[in-house]
Amino acid sequence: MTELVVENVEKWLGGLKILSGACFTAEKGRIVALLGASGSGKTTLLRCIAGLEQPEIGRIVIGGKTVLDGEAGIALPPEAREIGLVFQSYALWPHRTVFENVAYGLRLRKRPAAEIKTRVETILDKLGLAHLAARYPDQLSGGQQQRVAICRALVYEPKVLLLDEPLSNLDAKLREEARFWIRKLILELGICAIMVTHDQGEALAIADHVLLLKGGSIVQDGTPIQIYGQPTSFYAADFMGTNNVLSGAYEAQADGGVVIRCEGWSLPGIWRDAEPPRDASDIRAVVRVETIMVSSEPTATSQPLDVEGCIYLGDKWEYRLRRGSVRLRAQGASELSSLVAHCTVQPASTWLFNP
Amino acid sequence: MSLANDAPRFRAGVILALFAMVAAPALLVIYQSVLDAPFFDDNVRFSLDAFRFVLTDPEFYRALWTTTLYAFGMVVVAVPLGGLLAFLITRTDLKGRKWLEPLVLVPMFLSSIVLAFGYTVSVGPSGFVTIAFKSLFGAAPWSIYTLPGIILIGGLSHVPTVYLYVASAMRRLPSDLEEAARTAGAGIWRVSLDVTLPMVLPALVFSAALNLLLGFETFGIPLVLGDPNGILVLTTYIYKVNTIFGAPTYQVMAAVTVFLILITLPLVFIQRRLLRHARRFAAVGGKGARTNLLRLGSTGQAVALGLIGLWLLVSVFFPVGGIVLRAFVENWGEGVRLTEQLTLANFKAVFEIPSLSRGILNTILLAGVGGAIAVAFYLLVGLAGHRNRGRSGTLLDYSVLIPRALPGLIVGLTFFWLFLFVPFLIPLRATLISLLIAYIIVGLSYGLRIIQSTLLQVAPELEESARITGASIYRSWRDVVIPLVKPGLAGAWAMIMIVFLREYATGVYLMSSGTEVIGSLMVSLLTSGAMDQIAALSFISIALTAVGLTLALRLGAKLHD
Repeated sequence: MTELVVENVEKWLGGLKILSGACFTAEKGRIVALLGASGSGKTTLLRCIAGLEQPEIGRIVIGGKTVLDGEAGIALPPEAREIGLVFQSYALWPHRTVFENVAYGLRLRKRPAAEIKTRVETILDKLGLAHLAARYPDQLSGGQQQRVAICRALVYEPKVLLLDEPLSNLDAKLREEARFWIRKLILELGICAIMVTHDQGEALAIADHVLLLKGGSIVQDGTPIQIYGQPTSFYAADFMGTNNVLSGAYEAQADGGVVIRCEGWSLPGIWRDAEPPRDASDIRAVVRVETIMVSSEPTATSQPLDVEGCIYLGDKWEYRLRRGSVRLRAQGASELSSLVAHCTVQPASTWLFNP
Repeated sequence: MSLANDAPRFRAGVILALFAMVAAPALLVIYQSVLDAPFFDDNVRFSLDAFRFVLTDPEFYRALWTTTLYAFGMVVVAVPLGGLLAFLITRTDLKGRKWLEPLVLVPMFLSSIVLAFGYTVSVGPSGFVTIAFKSLFGAAPWSIYTLPGIILIGGLSHVPTVYLYVASAMRRLPSDLEEAARTAGAGIWRVSLDVTLPMVLPALVFSAALNLLLGFETFGIPLVLGDPNGILVLTTYIYKVNTIFGAPTYQVMAAVTVFLILITLPLVFIQRRLLRHARRFAAVGGKGARTNLLRLGSTGQAVALGLIGLWLLVSVFFPVGGIVLRAFVENWGEGVRLTEQLTLANFKAVFEIPSLSRGILNTILLAGVGGAIAVAFYLLVGLAGHRNRGRSGTLLDYSVLIPRALPGLIVGLTFFWLFLFVPFLIPLRATLISLLIAYIIVGLSYGLRIIQSTLLQVAPELEESARITGASIYRSWRDVVIPLVKPGLAGAWAMIMIVFLREYATGVYLMSSGTEVIGSLMVSLLTSGAMDQIAALSFISIALTAVGLTLALRLGAKLHD
């Protein structure tokens, strides 16, 4: 069931266009991630859905109710939108206890006291916070505050749950745990969730659907596997993962294959861009670091490269390789002892794009 | 557009009401100035006679010139001294700087009429200090009833205002800027000159502009100290016009006020621009704790402490000590042992005269209860302007500026007119409500600034999360904003209380039998020369202010921003 429809939302700040025609829908029981670098408009889009910003143009429907329609002049205030929002800073009210923070939404909805008590206790218990109900926010750890913020946003069963960089204030260990349990919780409750993040790992791990934003518009959307494995533009390919980026000229082969010709080296690849090459003399290749195979002995398809250095990363080694003006990064399990390494770059992993 | 634009009706309503309250006195003054009789007179006609009279009166030009000299002279005295004090107290290892700071601020909390009276009884022609000096050295080579004397005293009493702005700018200076200069090879004094001074220059310029404005609006000090020798400034000229004509000549008073506004309004605007600039300058950042203070060395310590001691002696000890002593004696002079003269007769007299004892009670009521009402009103205005980027926000900005261009004397006068003749206001004239409304307008810019900065400390997400959870904007103010700013409101109340306690000019025309207040009573007692009673009232005023300050500090009010 479609819980959220965002159609053609445009938002201006003075003469600056922050959102240019964002469109997407989100389903019940699914998690959508708005992924992008800072300034890509992802937080603005989230705030538009929440009603904290008002776009000039566009339509937003939440749970079948039109909350924004630029043409019809409808713009419901945030409190009438039946949403929950988990703020990046959590925004827990410092003058209220955990219980009171969570209960506020139910109080505003005039639920009977007994019902409020059981519902708040149930959700606190579900997130392992039952023993903290009487504490004030400043007596909680960061992870506990985050869970209280999530309880507060969920307790009145909003149609859509919005999460603004929910993991950014947690330390690395907690973050990995949170990725898992937040996804599990949302799927269990079967609600529609929209999450804003700049961290691709977070987006891939938590979301069912990822929207990649750039400069206020959606560059690509798809499942995490599509976004990471089948980018349709140079920006999308380069944004995700750790990459080697090569510049060169486009060359079509007699056998139908395509090649990028760099200085003194040409690599067969596949054309991934949604559009045909605009300028054959200037294209880009993106090769994910983990797809390059390195060995000390030459193989049938390998190319020899000079080893410039090896960097120890703990769980693996990173190699800095060079041939002519082309520099490559690759990974492996052990330090390279020779001065020359033999690399295999798979054509299927060499994605070619317009710059 | 963002969320800020909701509750438009509340915002527009409050801001329009405020605008009406501040615009009414200004417009009424301008209207009155082009009439040939009081505006309520039946046969009143448009006429420029008032301006003609003023422009041909040599006394007016003399007052204008004196005011200009006074304003600039005050700046010349106050700015370097205030800057130096701020530097010594915030940037050096001066001994005892912790307890020096509140002492330095004392003159700011006292009404200038009390201060001026304090100077009269201590260093005036027959003041305690003058007499003591004469008996020791044979003569006292000064006279405070001259223009230079008045300027010096006015300047000294405004040192705290300069100190506040410059000290806070110096505290906000990130120490890494200075440390960068030091590592580049500049000595510590060199750094003060090349880095610190230019960085606080905007604050110095701003406080100079502020003092210039205060100088043009000054009333109490020239009234007490200038009157004996007939030295008039614009405000005292307005005050004395009635005596010259022997009858109320509202149009002449209004015409002079119009000239005064022509000077003060541009000053207010200049200040506003300077403040914006100063903020941009000082908002570089803030590593709070400054690690290395300038070492003064023992000679430096002695010189600095000597200088501050001298300033404290003249600016705090003389006036306050003079009043304390004068309040408890009736006779003094050369050869009189003061210890034998101590008496409570002055206070007894004050408490026996109904109007005076009423005045004390009224002042306490106005400051305490009125101060609380004022804070509630400022909070309402503050909320109307809170995160309001709509057009009404701009109107609010300008509404706050208008009263700053009007001296309290004039605000009181115009409200007196309004309460005399606006039908639904008439029944309020003889009540404290009329005074309270005028006080609220006079204290508007100060009070609103405290409230606004308190409101801005509430993180926007805290309000937004209430909205998302389902609260209307009013609910979010009631349930989140107001509970969070409560401690700040208590501090604001105490500070407003002090402002209302020391107010004297606003009530001069507005108070009537039953609504007397201490400060304005002192102004009217001056004409009758009832020095015993003025001394007792001054003492009571100082005592009340001390109580207010203690309360403010206990409630956690910040004396500076």
